[in-house]
Amino acid sequence: MRKLTAATLLSWSGAPMALFVAAGVLAATEQPARAQEIVLTGPLKGAPPVKKLRLYRQGRFEIAPMVAFTLLDEYEHSYFFGGRATYYFTDWIGIGIWGGYAVNTNTDLTSQIDNIAPRDTLTASNVAPCAPQGATTAASCTQGSGNPSFSDQTAKLTWAVFAQVTAVPFRGKLALFQALFVDTEAYLFAGAGAVGVDERANCGDAGEPVCTDKTSFQLSSQAKFAPTFGLGLTFFLNDTVNLGVEYRALPFSWNRGGFDSRGLGPGDNFPDGKVNGDDETFKFNQVIGISVGFMLGGRHISE
Amino acid sequence: MKQAQWLLFAAALALVPSTAFAQKKKPTGGGAASGGAAAGGGEIDLDQPQGQQGQQGQQQPPPDQGQAGTGGTAGTGGTGAAGGGGEGGGICEIDPSACPKMENIAEMAKKKYKQEIYAVEQIYVLRYHRVELTPYWGFTLNDQFVSHPGPGLNANFYITNVFAIGLNGNFYDGLNSDSDFNFQTRRATRVAVPLNEYQWSAALNFTYVPVYGKFAGFGSFIFSYDLYATGGVGAISTRPIPVIDPDNRKFDFDPKVCFNLGIGLRIFVTRWLAITGEIRDYIYPEKLENLSIATGPIGQPNDPTSPSNPNTWLQDGVDITNNFQANVGLSIFLPFSFEYRLPK
Repeated sequence: MRKLTAATLLSWSGAPMALFVAAGVLAATEQPARAQEIVLTGPLKGAPPVKKLRLYRQGRFEIAPMVAFTLLDEYEHSYFFGGRATYYFTDWIGIGIWGGYAVNTNTDLTSQIDNIAPRDTLTASNVAPCAPQGATTAASCTQGSGNPSFSDQTAKLTWAVFAQVTAVPFRGKLALFQALFVDTEAYLFAGAGAVGVDERANCGDAGEPVCTDKTSFQLSSQAKFAPTFGLGLTFFLNDTVNLGVEYRALPFSWNRGGFDSRGLGPGDNFPDGKVNGDDETFKFNQVIGISVGFMLGGRHISE
Repeated sequence: MKQAQWLLFAAALALVPSTAFAQKKKPTGGGAASGGAAAGGGEIDLDQPQGQQGQQGQQQPPPDQGQAGTGGTAGTGGTGAAGGGGEGGGICEIDPSACPKMENIAEMAKKKYKQEIYAVEQIYVLRYHRVELTPYWGFTLNDQFVSHPGPGLNANFYITNVFAIGLNGNFYDGLNSDSDFNFQTRRATRVAVPLNEYQWSAALNFTYVPVYGKFAGFGSFIFSYDLYATGGVGAISTRPIPVIDPDNRKFDFDPKVCFNLGIGLRIFVTRWLAITGEIRDYIYPEKLENLSIATGPIGQPNDPTSPSNPNTWLQDGVDITNNFQANVGLSIFLPFSFEYRLPK
């Protein structure tokens, strides 16, 4: 064990020395600890921090229709229409499901690629050969049935179902401009489930179309398994109805552009002429949801 | 030793006792206000257990209280002799004409009183005339092409308990992250998206705190929070990342006027420390890289048709850009303590 001497102290310099000096100063000025139990007497002795608390969730079932949308979208915006159903065993914990169907719209990037991306040998396996009506790029065909363009090959979220545990650790009251008072709760949730994804079908392998073929740009439906977690706020308008907003993460890997981007060369970082699972990349998918909740069953009140 | 100096300075700061006064000082001698606050004797440290406050008060009675001051009640603690209020003194002894009589009570009950009761009495943290320093880390919320994380600092001075003026700064240089998705898109489609990176931003801001209250955690402890809105104007230094013609184009950082709007949530850990989260939108006019490359001879920067001419590198006009940023940090209020001058 190294002995602490004046010589070793002097041999130290910079940050370690500074930390040591600071620690010494703090130790020298340390306050005596105040760890004794606070003995309450009188009417508040033994009283809980909150009395007569309205227990909105205990023993109740919640159905909350929800609209949700994705954040940081690359090629498609997804809008979920669904909801959440939860049974709360106590006022602070419950189990339930979240899910819905999604509709998708193109991002500006997808529209730009569709309009200006060259359709030539360099892009033949990654950009569908047809272009939308009025596009500035030269293409051999116009988008339509059997004539896919780039917006037809991009992956789309179609549905989601997740089982989740919800914890409601924080509870308070919110006063807005001293006019609107609402009971407010902050909650956390975590779970697992599946997301439906329409993704470019595999191509380039035996028994599959060549990836430059028009038919290879079709989508196939798949289910991706993923965890989910997030947090939210609930504002109770009355004993039965509440408004909610929540943030949800759905991280999983998928091939969002429908590209052949990986599978060959160092680190498999180069295109291999095939579209398959190697081309999927991880994305930390994020969703913001807004809900209206309905609590079923009678509300309790704490002591 | 620079670090040592800073740490010693920080330690010295922590040791300097300082107090902010949360309400404006009233003239002395006005029994009710000063007596109520000083009924226990001396200043009240709101972070100390009640038992210890009592001890402090007994050991160091203030000069204007006298011994009886320790037993005083709000409203009678102005002078030492009358401070007790419990031994047959009170208003009837000081001014018998003001002593309430039974026959007056019915008449007094008819009087209309202007009740002034705050929704939250003796709020956990007062901000009035305190400085708030909030170092934070920022994350990009809406730029899927280039993320702009980085450290930042908010410095606010509260003119009132709910209104502050302050400065906000962000440092991004070297921390911008060009997403791999840009490269994949360029390689696959031969389409490049103009990208930009940030160097710094600074702004003068105004902050308003319209919402504050308490939350109960797990039904076993209570913590305080507030919600605030902020906005201001300043500058942001940005430049395009050359992706269309990286061989010929090299951009310098250029400051632009930048507006910002945001909302935030503070959760107080102590009366001077809070965990802060905010979302802020930085709105500024961005100049984007030109998607076309000039077709003239290379290496002649004075030739208006040359790709080496900087005048051909940017698109015409500006693109109004919203940079939504989530900031997570710690708020430190100085001075560390404050004193209520009004009774509960």
